Amino acid sequence: MTRSRREMPRRELLRLLAGGSGLLLVSCVPEAGADSRKGYDWSRHYWGYAVDTTRCIGCGACMRACRAENSVPHGVYRTWIERYRVDARGKVAVDAARPDGPSFGVVPGEVVKAFFVPKLCNHCERSVCTQVCPVGASYATKDGVVLVDEERCIGCGYCVQACPYGSRFIHPTLHVASKCTLCYHRITPGLQPACVLACPVEARLFGDLKDPKSRLTTILRQRRYRLLRPEMGTHPKCYYIGLDAEVV
Amino acid sequence: MPLKASYRHTYRLFIIIGVLAGAGLLARYLLVPSSFGQYGAYRGGAVEAARRGEPLHLGQQGCTECHEEKVKLHAKDAHHRVQCEVCHGPGRRHAAEGTAASIDKPRGKQVCLTCHQLLSARPGAFPQIEWREHFRFVGVKSDNTPCTRCHEPHEPLYMDRDVRTARLHPLVQRCRDCHAGRTRDPSTPQPAGHPAIFECSYCHSKITKDFAKRPHHKVRCSTCHLFFKESEFAGRIIRDADPRFCLLCHRAGDFRSDKAPPGIEWPAHRQEVAEGPEDAKKRCIDCHRDRIHIVPGKGDRP
Amino acid sequence: MGFVFPNEVHVTWTVMIVLYPYITGLVAGAFIVSSLYHVFGRDDLKAVARFSLASAFVFLLFAPLPLLVHLGQAKRAFNIMITPNFSSAMAGFGYIYLAYMVVVVLEIWFVMRPQFIERARGRGAVALLCRAILLFNLHSDEQSRLADRRIVRLLAGLGIPMACLLHGYVGFLFGALKANPWWSTPLMFVIFIFSAIVSGIAVLIFHYFVVSWINGWQVDQRCVRAMGKYLWGFMIVAVALELLEVMSIAYKQTEEWEVLSDLIEHQLFVSYVVVQFLILSLVPFLLLGIAALFRLRDRLSNALTWIAATMLLGQVLLMRWNVVIGGQLVSKSMRGFTSYFPGLWEKEGLVTAAVIFTLPFGILYLFHRVVPLFPGAARTDQTRV
Repeated sequence: MTRSRREMPRRELLRLLAGGSGLLLVSCVPEAGADSRKGYDWSRHYWGYAVDTTRCIGCGACMRACRAENSVPHGVYRTWIERYRVDARGKVAVDAARPDGPSFGVVPGEVVKAFFVPKLCNHCERSVCTQVCPVGASYATKDGVVLVDEERCIGCGYCVQACPYGSRFIHPTLHVASKCTLCYHRITPGLQPACVLACPVEARLFGDLKDPKSRLTTILRQRRYRLLRPEMGTHPKCYYIGLDAEVV
Repeated sequence: MPLKASYRHTYRLFIIIGVLAGAGLLARYLLVPSSFGQYGAYRGGAVEAARRGEPLHLGQQGCTECHEEKVKLHAKDAHHRVQCEVCHGPGRRHAAEGTAASIDKPRGKQVCLTCHQLLSARPGAFPQIEWREHFRFVGVKSDNTPCTRCHEPHEPLYMDRDVRTARLHPLVQRCRDCHAGRTRDPSTPQPAGHPAIFECSYCHSKITKDFAKRPHHKVRCSTCHLFFKESEFAGRIIRDADPRFCLLCHRAGDFRSDKAPPGIEWPAHRQEVAEGPEDAKKRCIDCHRDRIHIVPGKGDRP
Repeated sequence: MGFVFPNEVHVTWTVMIVLYPYITGLVAGAFIVSSLYHVFGRDDLKAVARFSLASAFVFLLFAPLPLLVHLGQAKRAFNIMITPNFSSAMAGFGYIYLAYMVVVVLEIWFVMRPQFIERARGRGAVALLCRAILLFNLHSDEQSRLADRRIVRLLAGLGIPMACLLHGYVGFLFGALKANPWWSTPLMFVIFIFSAIVSGIAVLIFHYFVVSWINGWQVDQRCVRAMGKYLWGFMIVAVALELLEVMSIAYKQTEEWEVLSDLIEHQLFVSYVVVQFLILSLVPFLLLGIAALFRLRDRLSNALTWIAATMLLGQVLLMRWNVVIGGQLVSKSMRGFTSYFPGLWEKEGLVTAAVIFTLPFGILYLFHRVVPLFPGAARTDQTRV
């Protein structure tokens, strides 16, 4: 539903009414089209992400880079790391990384199997969060990134409840929904997301699913991977290589 | 005649409702942002807003302009995959201001232990230590000694990345690779179906037997020999036996405890024992092979 | 305890979101009672017909208040009407609420027009207010009253599905959320509607008795007995559906049963098993059953009915709590639980909740001062109800 054909007469009307109603003026400021970063054509990309859980060392560099890059406040997480520890009786203990300092401490106890699993927003193709947003503040771009319009969001929290992966939260100071943006401001000029840049062991991969020669596409063709909670029907675009059965 | 209902008293009411509804519709029409619906059921201007924002992390190339030497050093060594900004924080502000205050210079053991603390969940092949054990082993007396006393953070382990002939070393595993936290009793037989356990002695028995008799017998093979699975560097001595490697344990210093391995002053020691100009380039191992182990094929002599 | 995703530690939907469906439930229930009289001609409910309509209106007025308190950006609340995203169940709220409010306001206007006209003929501020409400047209004759009755029947009939929609969409909102194992069930829509009707009838009974006791009026016995029977019938259906829902997941024992059984046996044991079902469902069921099936003296029957109604008011509130809060206590990792206490003086705390809940009763009293809600209420020496 485009309004481009109606913009001109509406602008005339607005100028007439502007004198009488300041309020209307504030909410009707005309906005430019969405193609400012010169040369970026979003129809030519489809961004995906992969996590190699066999490589993650749980250092937390990704969490700290994300927090710094996106000014994420404390207590909420755009990305996090989980640690799974299995004992001899098969009992599984899971904990999450602390945001600062050594992300994980040594926990006493016998362990027969243990590993780390980084988690983040899966940027689902059929995301529940965009379906349930009542005001159209949660949306997916044409290049496959799910974002939040922070000026439109009313902070109702429905999307937070709807996400099966716990990726979303209500920003403690802005009081709107927020989550991983795949560092949209970095990937559109051709950089990598901050977490992918920071990972010292290449446990996080980012790339263009539309490009058959991209590293991501190659790896997805060579390695076996799984998705998180595929039965939810969300078609997530974050692929987990070496994902253990214990991970939900 | 049945009573006919009269609705005249309702006209005012429904007119007012009609007017209010009309006003409401008009208000809604005016209040919808102009870029709404441009690309879908959302405000087109939001995409533009999402693309704005200066990236705060520069990546390695952002540091090279001013810190070329350090970056080159770093690129050659074991930490080459660790971005500068992982330890130093995002660099945009520092690149703009150029002051020392605008970048982090983290200090202390915790910086290194964030990655290198021995944790059961870390992949076995990843270098990790229990720092107290490590300090005891290399003879450091004070708990407060920073890792950087011996390990230069931008060059912790020199690795010559010019590839020689690729050699495939048999798949070598340590128990800890799978059984974190437990040690294997060597007398227990290998259970059926267990992945093959290789001990160095299976192929290199001559060397291990000889090594057991020499002063370095407490040192694990993997401490000096690169040991990672399926790597073309497998088997090579770390730092190609560059003296700086031996000095990690054998450089004397007042931070060493009494139980430290014998230490020397460097480069004083070389000057002391040099007998001629050709000795200037020798490595420790060239004179001190009898302290390590024989190398079969090189004359079978220490 | 256990493991929760780091973003789940903080519970997003607070006691305000418990209160909102509770209040719209009261609206729906009260409106159904009013419509039973105005549409289906249940004359035994005549005594409370006007009162139930006014109650529905006043609760409806306050229904958005807990939502506004909860919203992170309440000043943008109108976005839900400016750019609704209709794939979202919540987007319907703005327009459904508005339409239903129009229906209720219109119905009050038409039902109480004679009373407004009577008051408007007097002197003073209240008379002026009534004249303004009538849009300064005090005309009334046989024909206009016939027209009024027809319109009322139309509105009341139209209002029933709208009331179901206004309250039901909340149930659908929870039930259709696949990510939450405690909420996700097709029955949620129906459970919410039936328990809403229960709460609506219960609040009318509760309030009617209290008001009559305070003013020394005698209650209309026929009306009270009828309401008691309706309450009993609806509560049987509501509790049966609630039990069916939990028994169904307990029987199926799919993956989420492990964590949900833990929820029921530990976190929610007291509030769900003991209080909601054993105390506040079983006991009112017995009390109302006795009152309905046995021929008791009026005083005893009224006492049982009032006690049962009060307990059911609590049961429905607790059911909302157990659904809304209980569902958020469970982690989506299926491995643990977080905890929640609303706090006393917080923006979304218990004091705010108490104020929001009691305000409608105060406004209802003011309404009554303008237009008496209990026509023909007789004083009696036997003031015991």
